[in-house]
Amino acid sequence: MALPIRYSLRNALVRWRSTIATVLGIALVVFVFVLLQSLAAGIERSSGNTGDPRNLMVVRKGSTAESASLISRATLQEIRYFPEIARHEAGDPIISADVLALVNLPRRNNGGEANVLLRGVTPRGRELRPQVHLVAGRWFEPGKREVVVSAKLARRFANFDIGESFKSGNATLTVVGWLAGGGSAFDSECWLDADECRSIFERDMYSSFLIRPVDAAAGAKLIARIEADRRFKLKVEKEVEYYRKQTMTAAPIKWLGGFLAVTMSIGAVFAAMNTMYAAVGARTREIGTLRVLGYRRRFVVVALLVEGAFLALLGGVLGCVLAFHWNGYTTATMGFETFSEIVFEFRVTPGLIAKGLIFAVVVGLIGTALPAIRASRLPVIAALKSL
Amino acid sequence: MNLSGFVIRNAFRNRRRLLLSVSSVAASLFLLITLQVALRELTNPINDEGSSLRIIVRSKVSLAQPLPARQMPILERIPGVVAVSPFTFFGGLYKGDEKFTSFAQFAVDPARTLPLISDAKLPRAQYEAWLADRTSCIVGQMTVDRYGLKIGDRMPFTGQLYPCDLDLKIAGIYHGTADDRNVMFHQKYLDELQGNPGMVGTWWVLAASAADVPFVTDRINKAFANSSAEVRAESERAFVLGFVSMWANIKTLIGGISIVVVFALLLVTVSTMSMAIRERFRELAILKALGFRRRELFAFILAESFGLAMGGAVLGAGGAWVLFRSINIQNLTNGLFLMFEVTPQMLGLAFSVAVLLGVLAALAPMWTVARTSVVQGLKTLD
Repeated sequence: MALPIRYSLRNALVRWRSTIATVLGIALVVFVFVLLQSLAAGIERSSGNTGDPRNLMVVRKGSTAESASLISRATLQEIRYFPEIARHEAGDPIISADVLALVNLPRRNNGGEANVLLRGVTPRGRELRPQVHLVAGRWFEPGKREVVVSAKLARRFANFDIGESFKSGNATLTVVGWLAGGGSAFDSECWLDADECRSIFERDMYSSFLIRPVDAAAGAKLIARIEADRRFKLKVEKEVEYYRKQTMTAAPIKWLGGFLAVTMSIGAVFAAMNTMYAAVGARTREIGTLRVLGYRRRFVVVALLVEGAFLALLGGVLGCVLAFHWNGYTTATMGFETFSEIVFEFRVTPGLIAKGLIFAVVVGLIGTALPAIRASRLPVIAALKSL
Repeated sequence: MNLSGFVIRNAFRNRRRLLLSVSSVAASLFLLITLQVALRELTNPINDEGSSLRIIVRSKVSLAQPLPARQMPILERIPGVVAVSPFTFFGGLYKGDEKFTSFAQFAVDPARTLPLISDAKLPRAQYEAWLADRTSCIVGQMTVDRYGLKIGDRMPFTGQLYPCDLDLKIAGIYHGTADDRNVMFHQKYLDELQGNPGMVGTWWVLAASAADVPFVTDRINKAFANSSAEVRAESERAFVLGFVSMWANIKTLIGGISIVVVFALLLVTVSTMSMAIRERFRELAILKALGFRRRELFAFILAESFGLAMGGAVLGAGGAWVLFRSINIQNLTNGLFLMFEVTPQMLGLAFSVAVLLGVLAALAPMWTVARTSVVQGLKTLD
């Protein structure tokens, strides 16, 4: 390794006290950046991970979310026997008409109240969503006011343990099981019998249909057929596509993350510059010596840049390690589309770590550039003379 | 040269470092203020004069569950109730908006709604025009400015929550409420479009006095207990706090980040201050030798550190104050944030942090100076 670079690296480690603040400062910037982006990534992953690619989702045209959609029962009868829809062995079409209801429920430990999404679902609806499985208790019995709640929600809401019950509308719902959606949007839902749901919340209409077409070609035909029929005013798209778009909640978090990263990094660049200017100042004589030994100006610049980048990288690694500590941690907020509590996990992806590290190095390089140029411009004799 | 002159000269000796240090403090305090403003915006219970008397009645199930219109006469008979109007959140998409419309549209009963929005300033003639035309609406000043609207313009909305679209004519423009963005139109119009289902979103109720609010809410809740549509009546403040509770962990997260920012700031300033003092160790030793007391040296260090932190605070917090006053945050964030107001409390917080910073940053150098003897100090080369 070239001497200036070795010199710089060792210098960075030797002057640990004066550089540790810079490293920590950059670490905190990277930490905040990666953490917020991982939150947005968690929301996106949970919706991107939802649905079966074979299924089609039908909602009312104009509704951005299933929970805001209304479809009449007559429409179900019309669509039900379209030949493009796959049939069960018994001959009945594989279509699930679901009813969604929002209920306001108390959190555990008097943590206030929040909305929870209840999905009234048919047996077909369960088959169409193989991601969802039971982790405790049993499924609800059709015709009974029983509910299976998401295990992740159960940790957040009062009366969600198996055997407990809660009141909503004029009905008392008993929790008989916990479901898990495998990191999908279903982890933020509670399921009950569709007809019971309709009767409890006095719904004439359905919210959405989930359809399994015979094959992909039939699916395309079905989309065209339903959307072209002006009586229905329905929107049909692939279930996975529908969920992939449900990421409005992530947008402001991303925005906040970006904003914080930019502002904090400005502060960090100033701090890094300060440290590097001081470092250059303290080493004026050594830099002069290097020049006398025959190292060119650009070597000095490169060496200092490497030093700055190395320090920043150190900070970046530390920041990523701090952020990674939160990876997989479950948290929740209000989803903008559903207006209900959505549960998701911090996702510190390799891509985010790479972004964080690059970001750190860039901050380090910007912070070092001016001091390094200044160092290289020092007249050799003056540098050697300086104290 | 007097002492303050000495301190100032010293501070300006290394202008570049001064500038960088002040800037990094400023950047961090700017950030601290921005986070506080954002947090307040998300969690702010509205506080206008009318809100203390308003009671919001929603379905006990959730806000999304409609209430039967037949509840109106029962509500009006409850003692302590001055006015009742439906307030149905339409949640439509305004023409041209892609995914999200940043202002609300409420279906109300114009004949009854005026006392409930007493803070709204609306010319009498415009109110009467609104009252007379079933498909007309009134619009808040902010929305009018944002979309460049005027009286007589049409506002089309695509229903997202309701299976119908609106085509409203602007009859009036109001201002003076806590949120001058909303559109208000006739509940009757919405009913007709849907084939008169006889449902409303929420009721807004005006209590006779602030003291009446708890009794009235209680009476309303009891009036519909054990009916097919049980309700939850609560003061407007409690209602808004309910929304805040829904943000869940995001609140904590922003609070946590604020702490991280302050901590990072502390780190940077402390290190800069120590750097500045270390650099003139010899001078301090000379001052000591000249007979300056330790106390006076402390004052030099403290004054410089304090001045640096304050400079940063003025620049950062003051900058945030000026910036957020002069930009139109509503357009910038597509309606996510509305006011983005820096309150005196926040400025107070920023300056307190700066004071703390000034003191803490001076501690380490002061400690070193106190410990070092004159001879040691003079020997230092660095």
